[in-house]
Amino acid sequence: MSGNCNCENPLVPSIVKVVDIVDETPDVKTFYVTTDNGIPFPVMPGQLAMVSLLPAGEGMFSVSWQAEDHLEFAIRRVGVLTDALHDINIGQEIGVRGPYGNGFPVAACEGKNMLFIAGGIGLAPLRSFIKYCFQHRDKYSNIQILYGARSQADLCFKRELFEEWPEQKDTEVYTTIDRAEEGWDGKVAFVPTYLEEINPSPDNTIAVVCGPPIMIKMVLQSLEKMGFNDEQVITTLEMRMKCGIGKCGRCNIGSEYICLDGPVFNLAQLRQLPPEW
Amino acid sequence: MKVLVKDKINTALNRLAENSQVYVPVHREGGSRFAPWPTVPGDELALDSLNTMFSPKEVVLPQTEKMYTFAARGQSVEIKETGEERKERVVFGVRACDSKAIAALDEVFLTRGYEDGFYKARREPLIIIGKACTQPGPNCFCSAMGVDPLEPDPVDVIIYDLGDAYGWEPRSERGQKLTQSLGDILADRDFQKPSAGEFQLQVDINGLPEKLAGMFEHPLWEELAEPCMNCGICTYLCPSCYCFDIQVKNRGTEGYRFRCWDSCMYPEYTMMAGGHNPRGSKHERFRNRFLHKLEFFQERYGTSLCTGCGRCIVACPQGINIVSIIKRLQEVELDVR
Repeated sequence: MSGNCNCENPLVPSIVKVVDIVDETPDVKTFYVTTDNGIPFPVMPGQLAMVSLLPAGEGMFSVSWQAEDHLEFAIRRVGVLTDALHDINIGQEIGVRGPYGNGFPVAACEGKNMLFIAGGIGLAPLRSFIKYCFQHRDKYSNIQILYGARSQADLCFKRELFEEWPEQKDTEVYTTIDRAEEGWDGKVAFVPTYLEEINPSPDNTIAVVCGPPIMIKMVLQSLEKMGFNDEQVITTLEMRMKCGIGKCGRCNIGSEYICLDGPVFNLAQLRQLPPEW
Repeated sequence: MKVLVKDKINTALNRLAENSQVYVPVHREGGSRFAPWPTVPGDELALDSLNTMFSPKEVVLPQTEKMYTFAARGQSVEIKETGEERKERVVFGVRACDSKAIAALDEVFLTRGYEDGFYKARREPLIIIGKACTQPGPNCFCSAMGVDPLEPDPVDVIIYDLGDAYGWEPRSERGQKLTQSLGDILADRDFQKPSAGEFQLQVDINGLPEKLAGMFEHPLWEELAEPCMNCGICTYLCPSCYCFDIQVKNRGTEGYRFRCWDSCMYPEYTMMAGGHNPRGSKHERFRNRFLHKLEFFQERYGTSLCTGCGRCIVACPQGINIVSIIKRLQEVELDVR
């Protein structure tokens, strides 16, 4: 058995090199990874990959952009592995395996108005779909992006958020922070409140939601009030994962595994599952 | 018809061990488990007792298993797979409940999109010699879970206890080959297959998965979970519990990754970095274990994940009894929606 095998065994990672690191916020960095032969595997928006930095550990992350020549992971510093990842430098080799999960229904959303609603690091998985929509701009109708964070400093992907995305055709970007602060003359509100103010039309619209569990739950209620039906609302879930391939057991909600059957579910599918997320 | 005279068991096992790794049930250190043949001093063959304390799942899913080594030098990392060498393996004396559990493990590790390479390397070359059960123990309820104690499945050979000998019946092509390789160690003799004894423990699971689908938020779960200490012994001894963790052993920046049995009874099992835990309370973990056994697995794989071996009943320090729990769940009257 050779070293650094691009392994047939799905539990064994292959090696990629970190070619860029972007400081997004005080506790979020985006890692750009690739190999000498290009991306380690093709990824669709919303899919996941296991990232490992040994001996610190291995964890499941959404791919926040699948570029032609590299993959991007926006990772918040919250535990042992992510602490270690935040300390690495450009040039470091790390392990990846994947892609895992179903991803967003990019084809089924064609021709729709897209409403993206995210809080905090929850923008990371949605970004893969947002950028995909811009890359295939003619396939999607109006695009609205609503994004909130605790403070200005905690807003991820600032250049895209303030410069690139608002310039796109038929696109509106709404940004908000939780509490007023100096140097911010934008919106101050929680995401669900701001959403109800904007009051987007549910007509031919798909809402894609990701953020802290409490934000997701409130936003789902707001969308329902505004007339979105369960098939029009999509979210992406997270759970602790070890294998990524539906074997190790822990990421189940009822009989579904988030790593394999998810992480993307529409609200109609979620309602079929036990309320354990 | 062939029989293996009991006096010749050691000879037969030695013959099988010439070309295969052979596992047999043994008494060891006050307990019992499946261990490699030839056994170590102090071990005693445990063919005549009922279920071993540890199930034979460790033959296909060892308690710990090395997966790959890693070595980091500067910014470079090298990874090498270290899976089990593939060789023929024989497990001797597997009962129907444990055989059915292996069928469930096969579903998990070999189907639904991904084959687990480590499991496959152990499972594919494995020949199972099943043992028909004729005397159910006081905690056995396999028949209630749809298992025929006389018909272990999957299986390559079935043996029947005839007193002085084991009736020997090949059930697969590999079983036939194995039978031929034993040659004159087996004797020719006609025998009558024994019949199954009476089960003391009975329970009706008819309609249970469908009913449980409507009981997720039923208050009974908190009451049932009350005595549970979340010790996890039920999950370790269970022949079909397969959840695993992946961990690291290192000295500096070199080491290896291994997987080991994990338990849904522990809060760390689902605890995420950052502190969110979708099953943070005892009764949520307890409920997940029983629903996984009795409902979720059925929905996903079309079969129950409890095979009625009774090990958890014997081992639970708090006397939690899955049969009593099923009965309590069946007694609940739900509002017709």
